[in-house]
Amino acid sequence: YVCDAVLCYHAAPAPVFFDFKEAFGLFDRIGDSQVAYNQVADIMRALGQNPTNKDVTKILGNPSADDMANKRLNFDAFLPMLKEVDALPKGTYDDYVEGLRVFDKEGNGTVMGAELRIVLSTLGEKMSEPEIDALMAGQEDENGSVHYEAFVKHIMSV
Amino acid sequence: MHVLIFHLLSSLAAIKAAILIQRWYRQYVARTEMRRRYTWHIFQSIEYSGEQAQIKLSVCLCSLWVLIHVKVIFPISKTYAEWERYFCYKNIEVPDIYSGPHLTFPLSVEQAVGLVQAFRDKKQLHSRYVLQLLLETWKLLRMLPNINRISTCHSKEITICGDLHGQLEDLLLIFYKNGMPSLDKSYVFNGDFVDRGKDSIEILLILFAFLLVYPSDVHMNRGNHEDHIVNLRYGFTKEVLTKYKMHGKRILKLLQKIFSWLPLATVIDQKVLVLHGGISDSTDLSLLARLDRHNYVSALRPPKRRNTSSAGISIDSDIDEDWSNHKVFQRRASFTFPKPLGTRSSFQNRSLQDFSDRIKVNVEEELETCRRRSYTFNAGINRVEKEMAPCPSTDSVNSDNAKEEWKQVLDLLWSDPMTQDGCVPNEVRGGGCYWGPDITDDFLNRHNLQLIIRSHECKQDGYEFCHNRKVLTLFSASNYYDVGSNRGAYVKLGPDLVPYVVQYQASSMTRELTVRQSVGRTERSALKVLREQLFAHKSDLISAFKTFDSENTGLVSLTDWASVVESVMHLGLPWRMLRFQLVTCKTSDGMIDYNEWFNELNIEQGLLETLYRHRSTVETIFRIVDTDNSGFITIEDFRQTWKLLSIYLKMEFTDEAISDLAVTIDVNQDGNIDIDEFMEAFRLTDKKSQKGTVLKNLKC
Repeated sequence: YVCDAVLCYHAAPAPVFFDFKEAFGLFDRIGDSQVAYNQVADIMRALGQNPTNKDVTKILGNPSADDMANKRLNFDAFLPMLKEVDALPKGTYDDYVEGLRVFDKEGNGTVMGAELRIVLSTLGEKMSEPEIDALMAGQEDENGSVHYEAFVKHIMSV
Repeated sequence: MHVLIFHLLSSLAAIKAAILIQRWYRQYVARTEMRRRYTWHIFQSIEYSGEQAQIKLSVCLCSLWVLIHVKVIFPISKTYAEWERYFCYKNIEVPDIYSGPHLTFPLSVEQAVGLVQAFRDKKQLHSRYVLQLLLETWKLLRMLPNINRISTCHSKEITICGDLHGQLEDLLLIFYKNGMPSLDKSYVFNGDFVDRGKDSIEILLILFAFLLVYPSDVHMNRGNHEDHIVNLRYGFTKEVLTKYKMHGKRILKLLQKIFSWLPLATVIDQKVLVLHGGISDSTDLSLLARLDRHNYVSALRPPKRRNTSSAGISIDSDIDEDWSNHKVFQRRASFTFPKPLGTRSSFQNRSLQDFSDRIKVNVEEELETCRRRSYTFNAGINRVEKEMAPCPSTDSVNSDNAKEEWKQVLDLLWSDPMTQDGCVPNEVRGGGCYWGPDITDDFLNRHNLQLIIRSHECKQDGYEFCHNRKVLTLFSASNYYDVGSNRGAYVKLGPDLVPYVVQYQASSMTRELTVRQSVGRTERSALKVLREQLFAHKSDLISAFKTFDSENTGLVSLTDWASVVESVMHLGLPWRMLRFQLVTCKTSDGMIDYNEWFNELNIEQGLLETLYRHRSTVETIFRIVDTDNSGFITIEDFRQTWKLLSIYLKMEFTDEAISDLAVTIDVNQDGNIDIDEFMEAFRLTDKKSQKGTVLKNLKC
């Protein structure tokens, strides 16, 4: 079996400094012990957070597009930002199920895959078609419906 | 009105739901990417440390070789005509049942295309035609310069391919997408055609065939794997001997020569340099253009001494000879062996035994010194140079010059770019150096070039630019570490010299796996390999753990565990992140029970199982000892080899254990051990231990 190391961070009582430092190091492509602003959101996600891009931009101090591409951050500056994101509400099983129930027109525990695709590509922080394909892979039944409680169990088990 | 409010509320709910799912999805992608990164890191660091081990081993054995051979035996030389007689294919008959392609020379393009088709249909080329094709290739390569200079005017577009590593599927995919070589379609193949993949010889035969048909349009650069010593470890030697049981030895010998005659680099339009590894701060193209490249049969051994006969006929001399074919055995009086060394027949199966008593002390000392010293190849070069100096020769090479040239070749074949400025020895691989962007700028300016295209490193996307887009790494073996690990790429250059990259991925299996499944699969593979490596270093690790456990509790903290493991393994991996996959025994208060950990890493701790972990090294040593590539070594050689191995691996083997092992392995009791049978016994042991049973009959 493969234990997902990152999931275990949720079980740990407090962020473990050195563990996060290692993960941070994995994303440093230049070797200056820093990461680019535009990598910060992904590193936080790799460490078990799930902020929106807007959340991260705000925590970074609303940098310009140029800053996002060129400015770099070291680990000591990153850690408090990570803590701030950690304080944001994460989303429980019930939140996800309730969220999807919005699209359950017939109240029968399923949502139309096609409708979900449209929503994900047009609302919120839009997803691209390949991203949606990857997400929905194997989730639709022969009628094109998604059984969303099973779906949520699936995404939470990853 | 309330309908509007209802719509508004449900839109808000919809947006909230969408954002929730999007957040979750992006987190999933980031975590998968991170797993992919450290999995990659594991494979790559193990690959490079394997190369480093290989180099250390071969430098060790090179010194040993020098002790045995050069001081005792005068090298035998043949003229090119004599070599061609040795490699003669004419008396090899092709049986009627042979269903593969028949080649006639000079080769036509239809035959080259037919060869590709035949290999796609899983046919094997008959050894007669293999030798004939290789001989023609050798003749052609001898006429080429060290640095090929080509132009886009000649054929409008040039396609450059990186490492192929015996993966025929990738070459076929490239030909399918891009077309086969022709007058309008120039190709440059940038080295590492062989090793690791299972169709190395087929790839070589295809490339050589097209080289013969279109000598102005097909160009090949030598890679660090075009080297018979590296091939001993990484599978090419074994592949040839398995596929060509009768003539494999001769084929390998001829390939040794061909590899040494492969050009070192290609320059396109005087602006783009294509070479396999890279450069160093001392790389000098004019020096590289001048040297005698065929003296470097292996980049890991010092250059051959070149002799010319009195008639001025150039002679191709070798130090490690195939003795069984000599008419006259010449022997020089040596200081270490005043007794006659015996007749030619006693050297058919040359044995270490004859020299063992005399040199045993020297060898053990040598190996111990090898072991103790911190190794870079520069140290190795110095050592071997010292050993070489007192040996007699008719034409002594200026040793400083030779050393400088050797370094140039080594750097060209083994170096890697780094992000920081400067130039440092490449300790990870054990050969060549790491060079920085400032070195690139300086080099390009000095030689009036604008781009370096190199290979040598696997990249996830098949290619990667660095040094401000002045260096392009190109890798053409997709799924190199495992199914789904990476794409391959090739590059097209037109007269504008702007690189146009094309990516691909062989194997339909990859498309069927989702990203998550493919990452998971590769990750499990990487972890398995990593666990084996950890277990192989058990004694070093336990001693190191004990230094952190002064009260002998058997426990260490997580931080200490991570630093110990890194200090022993030198892999630069994120150990803390990996601990959940590597340590499954329960820890109390974050402390790790290291003895328990080793129990969990493996069940059996017998000699055979321990040795299995080092099987690559073991097999390499065996193949080196089997100097005539017969596939057999004598029992005595076997014993001597284990003694050397035990020093090298710092393991305690009793003489009794070794004798028992030898007797057990020599199934037909004729005093010879079949290498393949021995390695097969290892493989079976591994399979059985995976199923949890103990291998009783091979208990040591």
